[in-house]
Amino acid sequence: MATTRSGSVPDPVTPQTESGPPPAVGPVPAVQPAPAVVLDDPARSVAETAETVEEGSDGGSPLRGALHLLVAGGVGKAGVALFGAMVALSVWVFATYPLDFGTARWSNPAVWVDNPKNAPPAWTTRLGGEDEVAHAAFSLAAPTETRAIPAGEVRTFRFPIAFPHERAPTALSLTLSGVTFHGRPPAILATLVRPDGTEARLASVPVRGPREGEAAPFRRGYDVPERVLLSADPAAAQGIGRVFAERYPGLALPPNLADVLPAALFGQPAADGSGRVDPLPGDYAVHIQAVVADPRDELAGVSVVLGGTVYGVMGTDGLGRDIWEGLLYGFPVGLLIATLTAVASTLIGATLGIVGGYRGGAVDAVIQRAADVVSNVPTLPLLIFLVSVLGRHLWLIMTVLVLFSWPGLTILVRSMVLQIRSGQLVEAARALGASRRRIMLRHVFPQTAPFIVAQMIFFAPGAILAEASLSFLGLGDPSIPTWGQMLEAGFRTGALYVGYWWWVLPPGILIVLTALAFMLLALAMEPVFDPRLRKTA
Amino acid sequence: MPSSLRQLALRALTLFGVLLAVLVLLVVTLGATGFSDDLLRAQISEETRALRQGLAQTIRDPAQLEETVAARQEELTRFYGLDRPWYTRLPAAVWRVLRLDLGEARSLRTADGDNDVGAIVLERLPYTVLLLTTSSVITAVVGLVVGVRMATRVGSRLDRAVAYFAAVSFAVPAWWLGILLILVVAFRLDWLPAGGMYSTPPPQGTWSRALDLAYHAILPILTLVPVSVGPYIYTVRTMTVTVAQEDHVLLARAKGLPEGRIMNRHILRVAAPPIVTGLVLGLAGSLSGSILVETIFNWQGMGRLYFDAVSGAADEGVVVALTFIFTLMYVVARFVLDVLYVLLDPRVRYS
Repeated sequence: MATTRSGSVPDPVTPQTESGPPPAVGPVPAVQPAPAVVLDDPARSVAETAETVEEGSDGGSPLRGALHLLVAGGVGKAGVALFGAMVALSVWVFATYPLDFGTARWSNPAVWVDNPKNAPPAWTTRLGGEDEVAHAAFSLAAPTETRAIPAGEVRTFRFPIAFPHERAPTALSLTLSGVTFHGRPPAILATLVRPDGTEARLASVPVRGPREGEAAPFRRGYDVPERVLLSADPAAAQGIGRVFAERYPGLALPPNLADVLPAALFGQPAADGSGRVDPLPGDYAVHIQAVVADPRDELAGVSVVLGGTVYGVMGTDGLGRDIWEGLLYGFPVGLLIATLTAVASTLIGATLGIVGGYRGGAVDAVIQRAADVVSNVPTLPLLIFLVSVLGRHLWLIMTVLVLFSWPGLTILVRSMVLQIRSGQLVEAARALGASRRRIMLRHVFPQTAPFIVAQMIFFAPGAILAEASLSFLGLGDPSIPTWGQMLEAGFRTGALYVGYWWWVLPPGILIVLTALAFMLLALAMEPVFDPRLRKTA
Repeated sequence: MPSSLRQLALRALTLFGVLLAVLVLLVVTLGATGFSDDLLRAQISEETRALRQGLAQTIRDPAQLEETVAARQEELTRFYGLDRPWYTRLPAAVWRVLRLDLGEARSLRTADGDNDVGAIVLERLPYTVLLLTTSSVITAVVGLVVGVRMATRVGSRLDRAVAYFAAVSFAVPAWWLGILLILVVAFRLDWLPAGGMYSTPPPQGTWSRALDLAYHAILPILTLVPVSVGPYIYTVRTMTVTVAQEDHVLLARAKGLPEGRIMNRHILRVAAPPIVTGLVLGLAGSLSGSILVETIFNWQGMGRLYFDAVSGAADEGVVVALTFIFTLMYVVARFVLDVLYVLLDPRVRYS
């Protein structure tokens, strides 16, 4: 039956059903998609294809020919470029992110406590729309200035804050991520320097003194950082009240400054005497002064957060998490899932196919039946069942994916091997007394290799999409954030229905792009193993 | 004919094997994780409680009552085989799954408030079948019509556009397309409802209810079809083109047969079986697609039930029943298509 896709395969009884594409993994429609040739300029691609393949076979390695072919056409170039970019990002993320990113950072609410919730990306303000205050965090590990005084040292941390906005920020907070002292606890004072030339005392941060029986050095706030919400501190209200009284005498003030605090800190009393507070754009600075008694005392890190309503590159989710950070983390995770699953199922599928096809007999029959049964199992329902009963582990998801995706390749490789087995090459090798193992490894495998590599790439998008689907159902591994899980969080909390597009669209786009990158690579390689496609175009 | 019958029988046997394999996998997993034991224990405690209530009327002595109940409990434990290791109870467990006798759901209910797992799942089944068959039929019809037309214009701009569309629709997960459609069609444009199956309040009368259901089904179907139709159009196109290059088509042309007749009798007739197979293979995709699409559109079918059953504390009984029913549906659908395949095989002559 010459109508099958692998038309050269001598398998007349079961055409397309079994010699077709790999079985569906997850939500992927299992129909093998477009061959690459039509996507290119037909004439050119035929010429190039023929050329590169010949080159490859002259060099004796069909695999090299296949790789040449990969970058020959436009589709292949696009695929390689996309894939390369993803690998580069993954390497960068792998190098800069902590290994326990999921548990220590992403799923740790303390990390995100200062961030605005559901804030759109900062660049959206530039696309027209209203003026929004961009959320900003500043931190210093060492003081900007150190001055010795008789009683010890004064260390000053200066945080310049450019504030060009016509509306108030949502909060101003100070975080001390660790204080060490030896005798008297340091006295820490926060001051706001305003563009109208005034200075408002914001708050003094208490550091708890030595406890009974505690020995120096005393450490405070290393485990749970000391966080002071300056814009809700009564001392700040007093401070700014004093400033207003001195700098703007006679102007009506709001009855209770504590109610309008973030606005008052970054504003001035309205000139019309209405008692409102108008925003005051300009260059501000927050000064943190620490008076330490002992030069050995340490302030491990000081940071100031200006609460805004827009955030970073991709905004924040409902817990204030930086979506951009999570998106980047998805690259290595996605590639890891795709690569490991694809390699493992290819290894199993190809080995069983070669062994079954070459040895024949009972071994072949058993492998055939098993492949037939496994390829008919709907994967996603079973994945849902196993993961929900056995637990949400990434390795479990990947194992199940591997266990159910090998049969397609086995069936295909087997039919190729049946043909190769009766060829002269194998006959010659056998006549020379080569062992069965050697023939399979050295003579049968190389001939099927380009095809196997192409199929391996085909497995990858399926794995990514399956993991995403599972995560979307809420069955993702909670310790490893993925794009699917970000989408799920958005969907479950209703972000979709209130239009938080920055939360639900980017993860989906990246899932599609990653799957597409693998698809393009696979498409570009298709002519390698289907010679008829070269003829058709 | 006998050979194709044998082929069908073999397929039936294989598919039965698939069902059996999935069943065994289900019960082994449940047995090894202790879930099936919990199920039986719950049943026993239910029965002993009923017994105690019944006996409390006749036996006044509390000590004697406890003794009788304990004896009965012992008896039941032995009867259900809870005193033996779990793997000895596998056949019984398979039978329970087959009958959907999986006890009571923790929090899920049917519309009438029944918490029997089998009843819950069966209540949802028709809605999933409705969604799946409708979108599969649309996919098949659109795929055939467009695919065959494509095949007559290989290399045209439209042909290439469809090729790109096929590649993209292969990579786009159905549920994400659903999210896009909700954002654009339901919220931005406000054309169609974003989810659910009926308006609130649901309209009265069978006809208006059915119409309301169809109205709510438009967006889910609009999500399911594009994702599966792209690759399918492409399969049809490629199959048709491949057959069109064969010698017998050349001969037909040489004989001067009209082009329409060549297409119908010489090309499509031959390409039909693999085209059906394309549909078979797409089935797995639309099955899992429907699980997620139902979830997104709050379509109260089995897919949405999956989502509800695994969110929070997993309702294992419901998950087991759903997995079994989905496998069963898949196997049955594949067999139907296998029969169709044999019927369409041009080498078979009916006389």
